[in-house]
Amino acid sequence: MAASGHIELRSVTKRFDQTLAADDISLTIPHGSYCCLLGPSGCGKTTILRMIAGHEAPTAGDIRIGGESVVGLPPVRRGTAMMFQNYALFPHLTVLDNVAFNLKVRGVGKAERHQRAREVLAQVQLDQFADRMPAQLSGGQQQRVALSRALITKPRVLLLDEPLSALDEFLRLQMRGELRRIQRELGITFVHVTHTQLEAIAVADRVVVMDQGRIEQAASAHEIYTLPATAYVARFMGGQNVLAGTVIAVNGGTATLVDGTGARFATPVKSTAPAKGEEISCCIRRDRVDVEKMRAPSLPLGEATNVLAGTVHAIEYQGAYVKVTIDVPRREQFVANLADHAFLAAPLDIGDAVVARWATEDVHLLTGGSNHVN
Amino acid sequence: MTTRSSNGRPWTFYALAAFFTLFVLFLYGPMSAIFILSFQGPTGGLTFPMNGVSLNWFKALVVQQRSGDFVGSFSRSIVLAIIVLTITVVISIMAGLAFRYRFRGATAVFYMAIASLIMPGLLLGLGVGLMFQFAHVSPAWFSSALGAQLTWTLPFGLLIMFAVFSRFNRTYEEAARDLGASPWQTLRLVVLPILLPGIIGVALFGFTLSYDEFPRTLIPIGSRNTLPLEIWAMTTDVTSPALYALGTLTTAVSFVVIAVALTSIAVIQRRRARRQRGRTPGLLGDA
Amino acid sequence: MRPQPPGTSRVTLTPYLLVAPLTAVLIVFFGIPLVLVVVVSFFDLDKFDIIPTFVLTNYSELFGSSLTYTLYAKTITYALIVWAITLVIGFTVSYFLVFHVRSVLVQMALFLLCTVPFWTSNVIRMISWIPFLGRHGLFNQSLIAVGITDHPLEFLLFSNFSVVIAYVHLFSLFMIVPIFNSMARIDRAVIEAAVDGGASRARVITDIVIPLSKTGIALGSIFVIALVMGDFFVVKIMSGGQSSSVVAAMSNEIAILQYPPAAANAVCLLIIVMLMVAAIMRLVDVRRELSG
Repeated sequence: MAASGHIELRSVTKRFDQTLAADDISLTIPHGSYCCLLGPSGCGKTTILRMIAGHEAPTAGDIRIGGESVVGLPPVRRGTAMMFQNYALFPHLTVLDNVAFNLKVRGVGKAERHQRAREVLAQVQLDQFADRMPAQLSGGQQQRVALSRALITKPRVLLLDEPLSALDEFLRLQMRGELRRIQRELGITFVHVTHTQLEAIAVADRVVVMDQGRIEQAASAHEIYTLPATAYVARFMGGQNVLAGTVIAVNGGTATLVDGTGARFATPVKSTAPAKGEEISCCIRRDRVDVEKMRAPSLPLGEATNVLAGTVHAIEYQGAYVKVTIDVPRREQFVANLADHAFLAAPLDIGDAVVARWATEDVHLLTGGSNHVN
Repeated sequence: MTTRSSNGRPWTFYALAAFFTLFVLFLYGPMSAIFILSFQGPTGGLTFPMNGVSLNWFKALVVQQRSGDFVGSFSRSIVLAIIVLTITVVISIMAGLAFRYRFRGATAVFYMAIASLIMPGLLLGLGVGLMFQFAHVSPAWFSSALGAQLTWTLPFGLLIMFAVFSRFNRTYEEAARDLGASPWQTLRLVVLPILLPGIIGVALFGFTLSYDEFPRTLIPIGSRNTLPLEIWAMTTDVTSPALYALGTLTTAVSFVVIAVALTSIAVIQRRRARRQRGRTPGLLGDA
Repeated sequence: MRPQPPGTSRVTLTPYLLVAPLTAVLIVFFGIPLVLVVVVSFFDLDKFDIIPTFVLTNYSELFGSSLTYTLYAKTITYALIVWAITLVIGFTVSYFLVFHVRSVLVQMALFLLCTVPFWTSNVIRMISWIPFLGRHGLFNQSLIAVGITDHPLEFLLFSNFSVVIAYVHLFSLFMIVPIFNSMARIDRAVIEAAVDGGASRARVITDIVIPLSKTGIALGSIFVIALVMGDFFVVKIMSGGQSSSVVAAMSNEIAILQYPPAAANAVCLLIIVMLMVAAIMRLVDVRRELSG
């Protein structure tokens, strides 16, 4: 379909001199969806975005938009428009001329393009700023101008390069909702690059977590957060504790594993159960962990499963919950997010000896991710 | 701990400020002597004391005297300066754009430009004069002198364009491309307008460096002088304060040109400046 | 040197076309003249006609004459003295502007105040010293009026003193601009960190400011030295004809059409200036600074 914003990356690789920015990536982004590319600096998300835009060319592989291959086409012929990280508003042009730029380049007459630019600005409530210079606008206003400038080209795909990172926290939260609303209204595909986990799950239909040029997992926001595929995703999203160990028993839908320190964990498994002796990883949500002070000093935990003992390392108040970080000997730190009323009922101090417990059914097996996602 | 006075400034501030003031007086003081003397009375001499105040010597300039052709050389200087400024701007912009790429010979051209800058002016003038002599072409202010002056203005223009381009944010070009502009449109509608303050700077250099140029122009000038050469001829033959009047006038012209250029740059920058804390902004373009 | 501008393919004729005019002008009006000067330095001279051959007489005469060495010694001495003075002035003025002036606007205004004279005629600025320093000049009259001395100071004008003063007056700007540029680029946070760590102001200057401005200092030095070495009119006028310089002697030879000897002198001077510049560039890498 000509107007379709359905994006397909097929085995796309991008090499810069010695570094591999994108490593054999295959990804489908359905038309009209809001997709976030999430990952730390250098993971390749911006490279992917720029290749979709046409500002970089892939070293290998194909990129299709609306069914047609766009590799080699300049940005304007792809039906894509990009919103740059610091907006890149032309400092020498008024807001109106900035927004009308694409029309001017296409040869549209002055009266008509100014008219259309004003209409677009009115949609984001900026029409009274039309004759100002970009420097006179606030960060949030500049962003809306950048958005208008991109949208006036009637793209089928809008590409956003860290659109919210230049804003302060308060505006960021506001603009998040705005972007979501605009995407729904327009019905076009949005591809949004960010390194902020909570932002991604707030706006996106689909989150693609990337690391070192590869896709770790691409799924809905809910799945990424509660059912991560790999240890990397689990750790990156910040809502989970990762537990790893060797399988010692598998009984009817549950596998028991032991890690290097002797702690035992149990995780539900599906039909493809792991074998005894296999090394597996699983994770438990931080907000599904109970923590209480150890009543008797350092009792051996024996055969207890899904229990860890340690000392409180840090306590961080986060409003609705309290983040308790626990030092466990010879293991990575364990984090529990306790509901604030629960914490207040039984407060903890730094240095307290505590026990953390959780239920087996809340544990999730990490099955590993794939670079080829449909 | 540094001792500070009541408004928070250390004593070194006052010492340095005093030094600075002395320096500025040093720069402008002597010119003020000339300025004053140009209003010397009709019977006055070349040095102080002043014998009355008059516009006598300014009038003397306009009348074609045996000691000089001021109106002619003045107009020639202006015309030549405008030509030099135009050529310098066009060539500097093109070269500045060229150096954004990697190309073979880039370093060689760069060093040639720098060498051209450092080479003593008279020697270069000599070489140009010889070249025209061997080619059996008569030197003239609009050919040989023009070329010699370009060897002085172009390296400056190039260096300014380097500085300006290196501060230029390429994202603007990408944004333009994203919005459908062809490379030529990007250049015309985005890059050059944003770089306008820098380009005005190059124009300013091109004009003033040519207008005041002396060593390089001396030999290849041909039969008709530019203003600095007329002045030079007068200094070896100084007989009247008309020279000072000339000095005042030519300095006034320079000041006007500078004022126009700097004001336009300031106006442009004002409109576009983002509020940035603590950094010294680029005079010629902080885009 | 730098990555391509966006949207351009790798192999393209464009840079070559764009740099062609500059290259052409430089070759025609710098390269060829330079070559010609070298060539003519080997020509012979017969009264006032130059004869195209290959002889070394010009050079032997040049190196055989004690005047040559005197002139070079004098010119180099001027160059070094002027360099030292302009360095102090340039550094001090830049330091004041960059670190002691708080408002950026004032900083710019004062900087312009220093640069504007550069854009007016060199010749006029030079001769303006004459009525200023003369026996009846403004300076002497002020001194007498204030009572520092009761008869005018003679050494002020038409002496080595006036030559040096004129050089400093004309060329200190070439030291100020590059040093100012280098200093302005120093990240303030670095200085604040040093002060935080207990460094005294003097320490900050020697350990941070000077090393970080050395490209500017080198550039300025190259300019000033090249300009003084290449001068012929300042020394002539300001010394009242008593003194001369290498290029001044050259201009005399040119005036009487003695091109070959002048050319030989020119080649010799160029080599010396190049050596001085190369020495400076060896100490400090200015290429990075210049190529942005």
